[in-house]
Amino acid sequence: MIDSFLPSLGAKVVVASSSDENHPPENITDGHTNKFWMSTGMFPQEFILRFAEPTNISAVTVDSYNVKHLKIERNTSQNANQFESVTEKEFQQTEGHLQSNAISLNGSSATHLRFIITSGYDHFVSVHRVSVQN
Amino acid sequence: MVKLRAKCLLVGDAAVGKSALSHMFHSDGTLFQKNYSMTTGVDLLMKCVHIPDSGDSVELYIMDSAGKQTLVESCEKMWGEVSLLCLVFDLTSEQSFANCSHWMERVRAHCRSLHLPGVLVGNKSDLSTRREVQASVAQEWAESQGLEYHETSAKEKENCDAPLLALARAYHSLYQERRETIQNLGPG
Repeated sequence: MIDSFLPSLGAKVVVASSSDENHPPENITDGHTNKFWMSTGMFPQEFILRFAEPTNISAVTVDSYNVKHLKIERNTSQNANQFESVTEKEFQQTEGHLQSNAISLNGSSATHLRFIITSGYDHFVSVHRVSVQN
Repeated sequence: MVKLRAKCLLVGDAAVGKSALSHMFHSDGTLFQKNYSMTTGVDLLMKCVHIPDSGDSVELYIMDSAGKQTLVESCEKMWGEVSLLCLVFDLTSEQSFANCSHWMERVRAHCRSLHLPGVLVGNKSDLSTRREVQASVAQEWAESQGLEYHETSAKEKENCDAPLLALARAYHSLYQERRETIQNLGPG
């Protein structure tokens, strides 16, 4: 199992539901946890990752803060539509440090992965890094 | 530049003027409904508020929830996750002020441990001869509940913007605080 940070897979965020220009969604895919994307209020919040080509994914690791419930959907289409549900997970709350959760995707093939944060432990949540094991 | 989004819950007894206040705020003081029409569900109004000296703004989604006792339970199902609280009473009705503590209990139970910035609004300040609740008493109770106190008259367009502007500012401060906290976090 290889832990790939997303820049090496040509992955980028193509949709994000919140925008603070100081904390843009590119911070999710830069491979570092010190910079982050932040939600700017209300739920659900979501972002969509696009891979350069269809990619088999055994698991993803999400570094975040105050995320309570996350759903992951995927598709194998060139467009960011017609998603099917893959899995969902309830995160434990952390204080003073980031949440880091590995989520199994069972080798699903995807060109897009959609991350939907349906609830949080606070009004605002942050996502610092998504990395992929393939 | 950031655009924040907040769901603001507007509650309080029936006929204290919640809908009148929210329409005055939403219409920049041009729409005062002269005829009473009881809200029976949850009405939604959206207004974008600019935060002075920041370039930032807050989109307030105002949920005007029916105050009538028999409707409250079904309305609560539509509240969802709330960001801000605007609790309104009628300055000419001691009872509507006394009931504010019940409203607080209901909102607190609904939001569990989440901290909600909130305001207490005494409306109908134009009816000064019929006033039953003194400002100092309301102020004191508001402080004990962590709410900021405002008096308004939707009819005379007095101060109607103030409570919701205060909420937008409080939400903006909360965002900045949280962002600061996240910037100082250690790795997972």
